Amino acid sequence: MKSLVQKLYLSLVYCILYFPILVLIIYSVNDARFSLQWHGFSGQWYRELFQDRGLWSAFFHSIGLGLAASFIATSVGLLACVHLFLHRHPYRRSLFAMLLLLVIIPDLVLGVALLIFFNVTAVPLGFFSLLIAHITFCIPFVLLTINTRIHTLDANIYYSALDLGASRHTALAKILLPLLWPAVLSAFLLCFTLSFDDVIISYFVAGPDFNILPLTIYSLVRAGVTPELNALCTITFLISMMLVIVSHRLSRKTS
Amino acid sequence: MLFCFVPLAMVVVASFLSKDSNHLVSLPFTLTNYAELFSPLFAKVFIRSLLIALFTTLCCLLIAYPFSYLLTKSKHQSVLLILIIIPFWTSSLVRTYSLIAILKFNGILNTLLLKIHVIDHPLSLLYSNFAVLTGLVYNLLPFMILPIFTNMERFDFRLIEAAKDLGASRLAIFFRVFLPNTAGGIISGCLLVLLPAMTLFYIPNVLGGARSILLGNMIQNQFLVLENWPQGAATSLLLTVLLFILLFFFRRYNREIVH
Amino acid sequence: MYKLIFLLFSLGCNTLLASNVVNVYAWGGELPKEVIQQFEHETGITVNFSTYDSNETMYAKLKAGRRNVYDVILPSAYYVERMQKQNMLAKIDHSKLTNLINLEPLFLHNEYDPGNQVSVPLIWGATGIFYNQDWVKTPPHAWNQLWDKRWRQQLLFLDDAREVFSIALMSLGYLPNDLDPEHIKAAFQKLRTLIPNIKLFASDSIQAIIIDEDAIAGVAWNGDAFKAHAENKQINFVYPVDGFVIWVDCLAIPANPPHPQEAYQFINFMLRADTAVQIALIEGHAITNAAGKALLPAAIRTNPMVYPPPETLKRGHFQRDVGDETIALYNQYWEQLKLAF
Repeated sequence: MKSLVQKLYLSLVYCILYFPILVLIIYSVNDARFSLQWHGFSGQWYRELFQDRGLWSAFFHSIGLGLAASFIATSVGLLACVHLFLHRHPYRRSLFAMLLLLVIIPDLVLGVALLIFFNVTAVPLGFFSLLIAHITFCIPFVLLTINTRIHTLDANIYYSALDLGASRHTALAKILLPLLWPAVLSAFLLCFTLSFDDVIISYFVAGPDFNILPLTIYSLVRAGVTPELNALCTITFLISMMLVIVSHRLSRKTS
Repeated sequence: MLFCFVPLAMVVVASFLSKDSNHLVSLPFTLTNYAELFSPLFAKVFIRSLLIALFTTLCCLLIAYPFSYLLTKSKHQSVLLILIIIPFWTSSLVRTYSLIAILKFNGILNTLLLKIHVIDHPLSLLYSNFAVLTGLVYNLLPFMILPIFTNMERFDFRLIEAAKDLGASRLAIFFRVFLPNTAGGIISGCLLVLLPAMTLFYIPNVLGGARSILLGNMIQNQFLVLENWPQGAATSLLLTVLLFILLFFFRRYNREIVH
Repeated sequence: MYKLIFLLFSLGCNTLLASNVVNVYAWGGELPKEVIQQFEHETGITVNFSTYDSNETMYAKLKAGRRNVYDVILPSAYYVERMQKQNMLAKIDHSKLTNLINLEPLFLHNEYDPGNQVSVPLIWGATGIFYNQDWVKTPPHAWNQLWDKRWRQQLLFLDDAREVFSIALMSLGYLPNDLDPEHIKAAFQKLRTLIPNIKLFASDSIQAIIIDEDAIAGVAWNGDAFKAHAENKQINFVYPVDGFVIWVDCLAIPANPPHPQEAYQFINFMLRADTAVQIALIEGHAITNAAGKALLPAAIRTNPMVYPPPETLKRGHFQRDVGDETIALYNQYWEQLKLAF
């Protein structure tokens, strides 16, 4: 009985998380340009989507940017966390405090500050400015996530590995990394999500030649979100689901 | 690290400057920006934003905590974890409009409730505090689940067995063994939810009908409408300092529980 | 792995100084992508198209950038005035715009940019009252009537301080671009009494709100009401008798554009009659192009919602820049108003 209640709770939360997505998918075939009520089936939005070059290029740009930023942010954050953990840095507390500042500061302010920064350092606005900006706001999240996990570890594991003759590299990769793996994965996913969906910071530091998806979507808001976007989000969702299923099958085979 | 601190430093510097209509920031250095902040207007806006953020954090915590616990017990952790994140790879804007479609007057929820005869007239759910809370909780839930889960997963469940053997009651086990050891995850989760909830304003605007003014609106007005960048910088910094103070007390209180 | 890095690097190296490129920065939902694609097809110039959703964010981005990266922008008239005062716009050489004669005299001879030295009007609209015939039996025809008790918790208002204050000022008999602090204060106090009637403020995606009957009456732009009417025939629009605000979105060239030649080609293309027709048909806004208007189908050309008759237009007031102090005053009252909810 208890296990049934537990399973129900889990499924309930997942249902709540996915219900708006279901609605999103249904409305991608809605026969109405503006209305948010059901008016019948129409495949017109998918047809429009496949002809919309601009939206697709923005989509792929966002994915590329998200992957690059998450990868770099997670690596840098991981190394920083491990370093701080192992070496008992004297300024650890204040360093964390500073990074926390970045999380608190409103997106708008950070976006503007970064724009001025790029202005002063003459970094051209485009892919690189976006990359730097995304890494900047992702790193605190990586640190917070990995940090909660790293404190449950005993630093002596690392030192004993060194004593037993392992190189720093091996100790890091073979001992610490597997222990931290769930946190690292969470951090990476969190970063990608943040980067893929960021609007305000990206708005200020983006250049005219590198279009990204959230900005394209945001620009349509004034005119009215078109069901074409629903179609794009539906496809994104289906692809992500397929990736998860495939990777799960693969990992099952290896283990 | 450099990229984090230099823009921050620029914001601090800017908050001490004055406004000039031709340039965004200019000399002389002044404290008037901060003086203007000590007004009842700012206080009211701050309290409003804080209340909404606190409620959101509480709801997220109540939902996420049991959820994370159940997750640690399950056998397919990685998959379930990723399944939480996938909905958030669709644009938050489009999801918010889905929420509108659900909560509207002629929307899905009302239509459903009417069909099964739970209510007689459609409920006015949209453009209310309920809608705002729903939107915020929905968007910030993974930020609470992930830190709590990564922390809980490391918890040694044998401690619970040991406590049981020693004769402790269920409640005692929870409050004395489980809760303090997962406190780290709770703090991180609350931080990751509370802070964005205070400055997010687009979602409350859309779902709440923009009838309220929150901190994010205020700062946006200062930067964009008034073009008073130093003032905007000053407001942001004051907000940061206030939140820091809150954080400090929270951490102190938590450390007392753990020891 | 390395291929990915190389790909990303080359994406990043896409320089702005490549020729046959024009960087356009415009309002979202005003220049349709079909028109952009047609321009690219006919001239071979690639268009890097970015959008914004408010004049303020466009202004902030232009101000904060070190070097101007945009060739063509689409600011509203009152921002043209503002940016001109600060020398942010390049002087427009009329000899390069052969299609300029297509425009209506009403918009060519204006007060915000006399002689059109820095801007070229493209799209215009007006703010009025919309209502849903199903629910509203006696339609309102003056701003004053929105204060009636029958609108309790019913009205949709635009989420724009100036538009809302213009309404209050006009209901008191003043002009929308009023600078007098006493008048603005009176408008604020009148607005406080309106609070029980307002259901929500919104400026984005209001067509969905209007069509799905989340608000049965309120303030809207004529273009939005026209588009809503296409999906829900019960929607109607009124130009209030106590006056209304007219806005105009103009094409302008920021100072020192990277591709001036292409900028002029783009603007000239937009001024063509057939392009104007496309803009009007796809996005539903009213166009300033007289030659284009003549080519529109009669149903749209004579539709009073989008193109009101001249006697009605006389009651309209163009939105003008009011200066920094007045804007600060408006913003102060606006924040206090929202806190009172």
